[in-house]
Formats: sequence, structure tokens, C-alpha cells
Amino acid sequence: MANPMLEMIHGLLYGKGLRFGTLSPLGRFVATMMGKHADVIPFMGPQIHDHAMTVAKVPARKYYYEAELLVDTQIAVCRWYGFDTLTVIPDAYNFEAEALGAKMIYSDNAMPTVDTTQPLIKERADLDRLGSLDPTKGRIPMGVEAARLVTKKVSGPLAVGFFCSPFSFICQVMGYPKAVRALRKDREFARELFDFAENRAIFPYLKAQAQAGVKTSVGADAWACFPNLTPEMVDEWVVPSAKRMRERGKKELKMSVMAGQAAADYCEEDPAKFDKEMMFKCWNVARKMLFIDVAITAMGRTQDWNMEWLQEFAVKNGKGGRKMPIYASLNGRFVRDSSPQQIVNKIREWIHIMGRDGGLLFFIGNVPADAPSINIHTAVQAVHTMGRYPIAKDLSAITIEPPGFQPFDEWVKNQPEADTIFKAREKK
Amino acid sequence: MSDDLYKAISKAVMEGEDGEATKKVDEALKTGSPPLEIMQRGVVDGITRAGEKWKANEYFLPDVILAADAFKAAMAVLKPHLKGDAGRPKGKKFVIGVVQGDVHDLGKSLVIAMLTSAGFEVVDLGIDVPLQRFMQAVREQKPDILGLGAYMTTTMLEMKEVIAELEKQGLRRNLKIMVGGVPTSQEFANEVRADAWGKNAIDAMQKAQTL
Repeated sequence: MANPMLEMIHGLLYGKGLRFGTLSPLGRFVATMMGKHADVIPFMGPQIHDHAMTVAKVPARKYYYEAELLVDTQIAVCRWYGFDTLTVIPDAYNFEAEALGAKMIYSDNAMPTVDTTQPLIKERADLDRLGSLDPTKGRIPMGVEAARLVTKKVSGPLAVGFFCSPFSFICQVMGYPKAVRALRKDREFARELFDFAENRAIFPYLKAQAQAGVKTSVGADAWACFPNLTPEMVDEWVVPSAKRMRERGKKELKMSVMAGQAAADYCEEDPAKFDKEMMFKCWNVARKMLFIDVAITAMGRTQDWNMEWLQEFAVKNGKGGRKMPIYASLNGRFVRDSSPQQIVNKIREWIHIMGRDGGLLFFIGNVPADAPSINIHTAVQAVHTMGRYPIAKDLSAITIEPPGFQPFDEWVKNQPEADTIFKAREKK
Repeated sequence: MSDDLYKAISKAVMEGEDGEATKKVDEALKTGSPPLEIMQRGVVDGITRAGEKWKANEYFLPDVILAADAFKAAMAVLKPHLKGDAGRPKGKKFVIGVVQGDVHDLGKSLVIAMLTSAGFEVVDLGIDVPLQRFMQAVREQKPDILGLGAYMTTTMLEMKEVIAELEKQGLRRNLKIMVGGVPTSQEFANEVRADAWGKNAIDAMQKAQTL
């Protein structure tokens, strides 16, 4: 079954209890999100751009500038690990600022990054000086091409383009402290900043994506996570902005524009300060900007959370007798720094708490460049083994050993992405 | 000088009112209050109280940022008057910088504010600091502690290089090294043989005090 629409319908029926045939990875995702559960808990493709570059040994100065290389490398690495969905995310926070003329740091080993110490916007007058984003400038054409390729090569709801959401964009062009100061102390200026970000910086990029055939674009907004912003601040500034962008995208571009993704993500670092009430507030605010009702975790220090809280939230806010689906993210640093056995134990604990009644998906919040591949292969194996429905009564009786796997270089030789990756290594 | 003026400075810093903080510091200087006392009882007291509120979950990052900004603004007014202040206690010397390829300086700014408030003498090397610049600074400044920051998982690997080079050049012997930044962890700090990991600005300051 290679028709994404049929795969999704299969998933939908399976999730509703009509369990026939073998689910495709896309069907598995849909069954979990829309129904009770799939055949097995899905492991979503994570944000993996730096890690994929490292695994595929492709040079940063090519990878972050050539759409096909960026897309193919991430697709290949996602498939090598056996994730159930392919996720392709560029360095989404840099494109608009770079095209508007922000000073950038370019490196041999890392993504281009905005030099926020020399901000593009220092005062109100800069907004007029900057005009509107020209979609032929900087890496915008590459970002558009990457979005087009993802739409073509990735099936289902994750065939999306990316952009930088307004609050994160404002942080990129004036620095987080100044952005926060505007929100707290100069509301008029803050409104002007959001207007500039939405309509003159981001919208032209979205328009170029729409013209290239992209139907959905997702706006990353990690700068708006907690505690960078309180949930009240997200509710006041980020949620209305996301709504405005969604409406304008729909009306003028016939495109689904989803800004504010990862806004209100609970990223408190200190376990001693974890606060259940604040977590609930964050999840409730985040829901307002997601395209599907889901209890989401992304970049936070989830290995130290009490996951009973997340399960409680999902059950409490479920509808029609089923809980909200949970997007449970293993922290990227945890995946990098732990032993395979520690990762297996954490997955076992989470499946026991949140997986027995279905509606659970695994994810990794931004895989670090140097995360050991064995840890990620082990995590996928653990989820796909212990997460098979019906979930075993005694999960501790299931032993997961780090799996053997073909080295990426050998594996990729027989993959459609091989030429693009190997040629990139040869180029000077 | 009345206690009220010190309290007003402290309050302005704590509440992130930079304009008010500098105005009150200026006022205190004009009344002839000792700069060191203005710093300790006003400015430092304010940032310390902001830190306490952060720890108690009463303040969030935006509040701390505004307080740090007000602290910086008040210190800028005070600094010229503190030079040659005989009574000023000499704290440990802390050299800090963000490694090469990385330009994110938010965490560093907060760490500097906290270290300064705790009496450290801080030398800021800035962002995107090349390896050899760290070597040069350690040789010239002879700090007690070197702090290395990074924001990206790719650039943080540069910390390993810096520490290895310090060891190679024999500069590690009397030097403690701290690492920090979003992608770092205690495990990473152990791996690169750092002496401590700063989880956040307050944690970094507290650990620096124990080194």
C-alpha cells in the first residue's frame, strides 16, 4: 500500500478498532493520533539536522546550503534508525533573519547562526529601514526548495515546510533580552515587532513556499518555551500571533500555517523547581497552537519528570472516552549521555505509565550531533519491542539488548540517497 | 545616606527598572555615599534578591533578564567610582567566553551578573572565542577559574579542544574549568574533564564559589 491517503484511512480504521492487515508507519502514526492505539507504539522522526550531518559525514558548508543534500541526508538517517515517520527540519530559525541582512557566523562544523550581539533591530526606526523580506535573498530559495522536496518525498502530515515563528524571529533579530524587555515594558513597540515579523519578514517566505506547492508550513518557536516566556506571556502574545498567521495563510495562500510550535514547551532545567500546576498551564497553552489536540513535550528535561503528571493531564483532557494522545519526547542530552540500558529503562517506565491505554508516541527532542548511534538504535528497538499491543503485563521481563546494525556508510550504499551523500563528501 | 535610598536601588534592580536604578545610584553618589556600599547594599542586594525569587519559582527568566539588565546599567554608573576603592574585597578571578563558532551570549551574561554579584572579578572574552585566545587569556590573566559556554551541540565539542590544549600547554595545573550552556550536562562535563558544570546562572555561581 503506497498510497498515503489509503495508509491514513487504514490507520484511522485500525485505531477505531477495525484491526486488519499490516499498518504502514504512516498508518501507525494516524492510528495512534486519531484512534486508541496502533499495532505498536510509534517512534516519530526527531529533529535531527546536526546529528544527521554528523552521521552522514557531509560538510556543514554544503549541507546547510544545498536543499537536496539536507533533505536526503535527514531522510536517509531517519530510515537507517527505523523511525516511523521521516522528519526533515532545516536550521529553521535563521533563514528570515539572514535574508534581511542579519550578521551571521558561518562555520565549517555547524549551522549558520545569527550573531545576536550585533542585532539587526536596535530601535523602532530599524523596522522602516529593513523594508520587507526579499525571497530571492540569502538562503530563502534553498529553504523553499527544501520545503518543496520534503512535500514531494515525505508522505502524510509531516510533509511540511518550516519557518521561524514571530517571537523566535524577534529574538533572532534583536536578542532575547531586548525582545523580552519590549514585551514587558514597551507594549506598543512589541506590537510593531510582531507586525513586522508576521507580515514583512515571515509572510513573504511563506508565500514563496506556497508558490512552490507547499501546503503546510510549521513555525518553530523554541525561544517562546518556558521559562523563557511564562504561559501567560505566550497566551497574550504568541497565541494571537499564531492565530493571525493561520488566518492570513489560509485566506491568502490557501496554506496551513502553524506558528508557535514548541512555544510554552516546559523547559525548566532544575528538577527541584518542577511545578505540576505550571506544567499543566504550559500544556494547555501549547494546545492552542497545535494542528491536532495532543499533550506535547519536546525539549525539556523529561528524564526527570514525573510522567504520571503527563498521563493525568492527557486523561483529564481527553474526549469521547479516550485520552489525548501524548507526544513523549526523550531529552536529546539524555539520549546522548545515557547508556543503552538507561535508555531502555526509561522507555520501559514511560510505556508502563503512559502506553498501556494507547495514545502514546515517542520522539527525541533535537538529537545532539555527537549522540551515539547505538543509543538511538536501542531506543527505537526498545519502543518497537516493549510497545507492541497488547502491552506485556510485566515489562521488566522483556530484555532489550543493544541491537546490531549495519554501519551507515554500508547501509546507505544501496539507498536512493547514496549518490547525493557520497558526492557531497567529495566536493571541496 | 539613608537606608531608603539603598532599598530603592535594590528594589529597582530586582524589578528590572534600569532607568530608575541608574537614577538612584547617581543620586546616592551625589549624596557622597561610598561607592562600595552603594554596590553591596543596593545593586548587589537587588540582583541577589532577584536570584532568590528565581530559585523560589516566583521569578521567571524574563524577570531575571530585566533584573540583570538593571544590574548592568547600575554597575556601569558605579564602576568608574569603584576604581581604587581601597575597601573593595578582591574576589576570585573568573575568565569567561563562548567557544568558537558560537555567538549565543544570553547565558554568559546571566552568569557574569551572578558572578559579579557574588564578588568574583570577571573578565569577559565575549563570544566566538578562538582556542588560542583562551590560551592567551589564561596566560595573561592567570584566572582561578575559566568558564566555557556553548549553545549548540556542534560547537560545544570545541570545549574539549580548549581543555585538551590547556593541558597540552601546561596551563591547567592551577586552573579550575567550568562548562555550561543549553546542550551541556554533568556527563558532558565529566567527559571533557571539566571541574564543574553550571546548570544555570545561579548554579554556576554557587559551584564557582566552591572551587
